[in-house]
Amino acid sequence: MSREIIHYSILFISLLLIQVLICNHIVLFNVATPIIFIYFIVRLPMHLSTNWIITLSFLLGLLVDIFSDTLGMNALACTTLAMMRRKIFALYNNREDRFKEITPCISTLGIMTFSKYLITMSLCYCALIFLIEYFSLSHITIMLIKIVSSTILSFIIILGIDSLMAKQS
Amino acid sequence: MRNLLNFILKYNTWLIFIFYVLLSCILLFNGRNIYHQSVYLTSANSVCSSVYGLTNNITGYFNLREVNDNLQQQNAMLQNEILNLQNRLKYYATMIDTDSIQISDLQNNRFNYVIASVINNSVHRPRNYFTINKGGNDGIRPGMGVVDQNGVVGIVNVVGKNSSRIISLLNTTQHFSVKIKGTNYIGSLSWKEGNPNIAYIEEMAQHMMFHVGDTIVTSGFSTTFPEGIPVGTVLSRVKTSDDNFFTLKVKLASDFPQLGIVRVIKDNFKTELDSLQNFDAINN
Repeated sequence: MSREIIHYSILFISLLLIQVLICNHIVLFNVATPIIFIYFIVRLPMHLSTNWIITLSFLLGLLVDIFSDTLGMNALACTTLAMMRRKIFALYNNREDRFKEITPCISTLGIMTFSKYLITMSLCYCALIFLIEYFSLSHITIMLIKIVSSTILSFIIILGIDSLMAKQS
Repeated sequence: MRNLLNFILKYNTWLIFIFYVLLSCILLFNGRNIYHQSVYLTSANSVCSSVYGLTNNITGYFNLREVNDNLQQQNAMLQNEILNLQNRLKYYATMIDTDSIQISDLQNNRFNYVIASVINNSVHRPRNYFTINKGGNDGIRPGMGVVDQNGVVGIVNVVGKNSSRIISLLNTTQHFSVKIKGTNYIGSLSWKEGNPNIAYIEEMAQHMMFHVGDTIVTSGFSTTFPEGIPVGTVLSRVKTSDDNFFTLKVKLASDFPQLGIVRVIKDNFKTELDSLQNFDAINN
């Protein structure tokens, strides 16, 4: 158990630092920003109580906000995503009880199910964050382009991180 | 009471969720008021600035060639200007009698500069900020202007002990008072998101004359920037619905994605001028 806590703490800090120091400065084709710290929310074990998940997500979002001067934006989006997580997970794993006590990743879910779960999570997050950032529909075209491109980029990078971690363990 | 407890126990997840959402919304919508009280919620706090400072030690070298080129050009220009001015001084010195009143040096000492390096920068959001590695200990106060070797880049917003957060010129909420060099046509310059090289001057009077390529400089109407600091050059005129005013498209002088070293402008007359304005306000 304590090993798990250390494991997740390291994941929390390293994802936070990679996001604010590297990923925030990447803007591919002037639209796509990779948002990789949601991998922490994606990967939290399914048996952890929702209260904990929401609290940790809020903290993660708030820290990213403080570093990137976007006070409240990521915190709000992270909290909402944490609340939606169980429902999104159930979309692709509804019938099997054995999934109730696992850590979502490629090696436990299989690449297809995990990819579906991951891309839905990224899409939800990117939609939330850009809706909050623009807060109007006057720039709707550029907003939609940003949502779709950021989702795809985040999805690819997180999938890469996950397969790297699977190889290590 | 028991019902209430049961309710709280049953819906505790939702209550926690609503609590966090409310907290985020307060930060999101009321953030600007909180900013003024607390430096901890911005990137100017000590943890963030030391993390950014460490990475800047490495990444700060990346654009040095370009910065160097800019500085060389600037240097050559300034040297030319000094030579011109020296020649003119010599010329005028022969015309002035030695016993006439000397021009005071006071105006020259009005502005001081604090050199700082940018440790974190963003240009892709609608509201961009950047962080510099000098703060209250170096005499920086909120409201001071910030320039780099090419021109205006922003205004100090939040000040920590050893770091400050600057509102970038690339921030849709910030306006700058500017004019066309050599004229008295004043306008308000602001950035509309997207391209980090283009900004717009709105509400220019219809009768105003300009040429494409004219330099836009600060107006000097506030204590933030001295008069005549370059901001950009005129690109074109933009049509608007209002017949009496029009909008100018401006190419910004500074290269915002690659900000390295900046200077914060300290106005030694600021308190004096501000108190004069307040004096006026009280008497009216």
